[in-house]
Amino acid sequence: MKRALTAAFLVLVSLPLLYAMSQLPQHGSATSPAYTHIAPRYLERGPEEAGAENVVTDVILNYRGFDTNGEVTVIFTSLAAVFAVLLAGREGDERSASEPRARTTPEVSPVASFVVRLLSPFVAIFAVYVVMNGHISPGGGFQGGTVFGALLILATVVLGKATAEKLQPARIRGLLQAAAPLTFIAVGVAGLIMFGDYLAFPKAAALAWVRTLWLIVIEIGIGVGGASIISAIFWQMGGDR
Amino acid sequence: MIVHLWQNIDYVASVVLFCIGLYCVITKNNLIKKFIGLNIMETSVFAFIVALGVVDGGDAPIMGAGARAPFTNPIPQALILTGIVVAVSTTALALSLVIRIYQHCGTIEADELREME
Amino acid sequence: MSQAFDLLLVGLLIACAIAVIRTKDLLGATIIFSAYSLVMCLIWLHRGAPDVAMTEAAVGAGVTTVLFLVTIGRTVRRER
Repeated sequence: MKRALTAAFLVLVSLPLLYAMSQLPQHGSATSPAYTHIAPRYLERGPEEAGAENVVTDVILNYRGFDTNGEVTVIFTSLAAVFAVLLAGREGDERSASEPRARTTPEVSPVASFVVRLLSPFVAIFAVYVVMNGHISPGGGFQGGTVFGALLILATVVLGKATAEKLQPARIRGLLQAAAPLTFIAVGVAGLIMFGDYLAFPKAAALAWVRTLWLIVIEIGIGVGGASIISAIFWQMGGDR
Repeated sequence: MIVHLWQNIDYVASVVLFCIGLYCVITKNNLIKKFIGLNIMETSVFAFIVALGVVDGGDAPIMGAGARAPFTNPIPQALILTGIVVAVSTTALALSLVIRIYQHCGTIEADELREME
Repeated sequence: MSQAFDLLLVGLLIACAIAVIRTKDLLGATIIFSAYSLVMCLIWLHRGAPDVAMTEAAVGAGVTTVLFLVTIGRTVRRER
């Protein structure tokens, strides 16, 4: 009954949506309003003006830098919220204490352990490449950081948490997790001091290398922050053994 | 209208996926299943916005040696990059709440949780 | 040819979405959701959006799946 009602409701919802879709400009047309106003300027002058050959990186980190600044704050806040939710009242929780949890670590096969040890340097190099090359090829801070975070998760599952944690010294782990917002704020304040606006980039044509350098610095900050936040969320949610 | 929709298969697909995700969120009882449905809805919206920026025969907007116009629109792509990362942050928070609910109540079925109150 | 490939991918996408909501086993549903993300990533690569495709492959198919798996490991695997 409930299912039939829901299906009927969804048909009702989808009809106006489909009608709206049929009024949109033709898919893939080069004359649609979305493509004729600001996109041509970004595509034409992005590489000189913003410092990266990859125009998507230009838009994310330079033209719409505020947006991304807010976004890295969002992922940092979500890490803080995950900590708050999972750590609150941990000792007063009798159910989790009595819960019969299989604490014995299953035996990891030597093949898996060997392959992970063999592959991890290459995965790490790929992650660094994606981060550092984000301004001239697809990729960037988030993608590379996520690849590195996935490597940390893999190491945690196969080699144990102690091995994976060696890559993030406990003393500076908090700093690493906040790396993305901190880098953004540092670059923004540097622009404020030198050029008069928060997140302003140097405009002179001779300073093109400075623009590219700043983009790379922000990408590295986002990469480091992303990798540590993803691994921290994984460890906190109980993937540790 | 039907012909136009047939040519805009990407838009239709995103509407269908949105409805599938909404169906999952409404009818499923399990909280994890509800969040999978929510993720499907999010992805459908992302697919719609990326489809708005597509240009026929367009290349990736990466200028370099050998790049030829036309290029796809970079602005929707940049917005969606932000959106995907925010989506995974909300998913992480939601799933940690699910873990807490299970620790407290011993179930993650919505109707059993409602009876418990 | 290209149109046929598009239709194939979109059909696969919708099939994956329906399979996700019909699977009672949460572990299986999560794995199918990961495949759904990969198909979505292929579609975006085909549409000239490699940056978004890369993010979706790393974040959607990778991290989201891992987070769901961890949650299933700490709660229950079967949906009632």
